[in-house]
Amino acid sequence: MSAPSAGDESISRRSFLGGATTAGAVALSGLKLSQAAADTPPGSGNEALPPTWFEGPEPNIPQVGLRWAFSARVFFADRVMINTMDSPAGRGYTSVGGGDIWGPRLQGRILPHSGADYYKTTFTTYYMFQAADGALIFIHNRGTMRRFAAPYERGKPLEPPPAPPAKQDSVWTRFRATPVFTAPLGPHDWMNHTVFVANSVRRANPDHTVFTYYEVL
Amino acid sequence: MREFVVPKTDTKVLGRIELAYAFKLTAHYDPPQESHTPRGTFRYQDIVGGELSGARVAASVYPDSGGQYDTVRADRVRDVDAHFMLKADNGEWLYVEHVGYRRTDGYYRAIAYVETDLKGAYEWMNNTTFVVTAKESADQREVVFYYYTAN
Repeated sequence: MSAPSAGDESISRRSFLGGATTAGAVALSGLKLSQAAADTPPGSGNEALPPTWFEGPEPNIPQVGLRWAFSARVFFADRVMINTMDSPAGRGYTSVGGGDIWGPRLQGRILPHSGADYYKTTFTTYYMFQAADGALIFIHNRGTMRRFAAPYERGKPLEPPPAPPAKQDSVWTRFRATPVFTAPLGPHDWMNHTVFVANSVRRANPDHTVFTYYEVL
Repeated sequence: MREFVVPKTDTKVLGRIELAYAFKLTAHYDPPQESHTPRGTFRYQDIVGGELSGARVAASVYPDSGGQYDTVRADRVRDVDAHFMLKADNGEWLYVEHVGYRRTDGYYRAIAYVETDLKGAYEWMNNTTFVVTAKESADQREVVFYYYTAN
């Protein structure tokens, strides 16, 4: 892994795009960087996206903003159960194999075999990130999961899931993740005092989850 | 440490989140009591009352049901750790937990986890992620929490 010089964000971005162009050449050419970004849909590279602000029905309710910070894909290795999930003693163990991290505020990888999801009813994960500069960042992630009859549409109430036996394609599952990070002092210190919320989507073949992490502004 | 090769998959997709305002809680506290610990300054604050109101729920803080168990770190950021109980106007109980940060620049944000009766009127709060922004009074005796659901 090439270690970028401190403070040079464009180099650290490029080193994780995995292109043939050397990091130094791109850092000298803002044009090339913007062209590279145009080739990829929003959120799939490291280019920042504008924040989205949400408000209440009355003007005295403070707005809350979300800004895409980074994304991570976590590929899983072992899946083990202690008891079964219909028991209060059910405990799952889904170990982390590895993965990658991209986005405007953090790039790097999931430290291979650095932990797992030790879930009860929803996920409770403990594992490690390794930033492009080598920094080790601990993630403790708590998840929530609910099932609904249809995907969320802004302004519409979420309908309860259809009664079993429901067809899988008639159920919309909403996963949300709420991580707490412990990062070393230095360029990643902002993660120690920022609240995050993540969209979390499971994918199969191979078994992995895509997390989209937002800073709460 | 074993190595791992990230499989080539086309899943660098952006997952969206929509926040929707749900309710607010005006909470009242006794003055904070601070003590010095190996982890920093532990800051206990008893919750003595409060009112929660929103389009889908109304509830009151059950007095002395908990409060703030925060830690003021070496960098002056407060690790927020709150636990308390609410009683809804239909008599049902709600357990609320906050995890977040209160910074010296006024940023006070948290994630709230709520647990309610699975057969009750507020079942929709279970396993719903709430994003919270808070405003603290100058004497820290009153905090207004605004809760948004993360859909």
